[in-house]
Amino acid sequence: MNEKTNGGTMPDDSTTGANTKWSQVAQHHYEPDGRGELTTAIVYAIAEAEGVSPSEVKSPPLYDTVDVPAIENAFFGPTVVGESRQSVGSVEFQYTEYLVKVRSDGWVQVYEPTETVLS
Amino acid sequence: MDGEPGGDKGSTSDVPESPEKELPPPNFLEIEPIYEALGHPRRRYLCYTLLKDTEWSLNDLATKIVAWETDVPEHAVTEDQREEVYISLYHAHIPKLVAEGVVTFDEGTERVTAAEHADQVLTALEGMGGSLDAAQETHARSEMDERED
Repeated sequence: MNEKTNGGTMPDDSTTGANTKWSQVAQHHYEPDGRGELTTAIVYAIAEAEGVSPSEVKSPPLYDTVDVPAIENAFFGPTVVGESRQSVGSVEFQYTEYLVKVRSDGWVQVYEPTETVLS
Repeated sequence: MDGEPGGDKGSTSDVPESPEKELPPPNFLEIEPIYEALGHPRRRYLCYTLLKDTEWSLNDLATKIVAWETDVPEHAVTEDQREEVYISLYHAHIPKLVAEGVVTFDEGTERVTAAEHADQVLTALEGMGGSLDAAQETHARSEMDERED
């Protein structure tokens, strides 16, 4: 796993690392009650950022980059009977040159670096 | 876990004893891949499909899964539906099954083939399939575009 967490910074702070600025280039809304999967929503968002068809997003498989089911469970997962999930926040990881943020409200946002280099 | 009856013999783990009893091979008792593989309906369906044929193209698998999930014939599956399932297979379920040794995936040809743990998973599926997932299994075994409803 080479997922990149964001230490203790605030979820709404769209930066990772001091030297990189990010700007949002795409977003896709994940519907937890729909038939689609979070993995698919993330790939759709990345495809939009890359300007390609979703089936052209191939390498690496998301599975190799980040534990999507863990995110899915944390924010949208099945609950104990009678309970409802109340996790709030976001998870960020890097996919190729992009920073991907999955928020507990279902928005998947893709950022690209706008200055300096990735470490 | 100590499989010896009368476990006071102090089973010393260093002694290379390999009792040729009627114990299943250790491989067979390694059930983690089974739970992992079967933990998602799309993977269960994919494994059912492997019961019928041991090699599939990812495209055909995606088409079959949409047909099963939406209960339409394969030829009625739209490109958008197929793409969505294709992506979920490619980025999530196939790598998972590859990691568990249930299938192999050729990235060049995008063909999925049964791997070393497939037998365990398929055995487990057959054991539980009759009562729990009969419709799913029946559909998975059906020919492409040959469902009679």
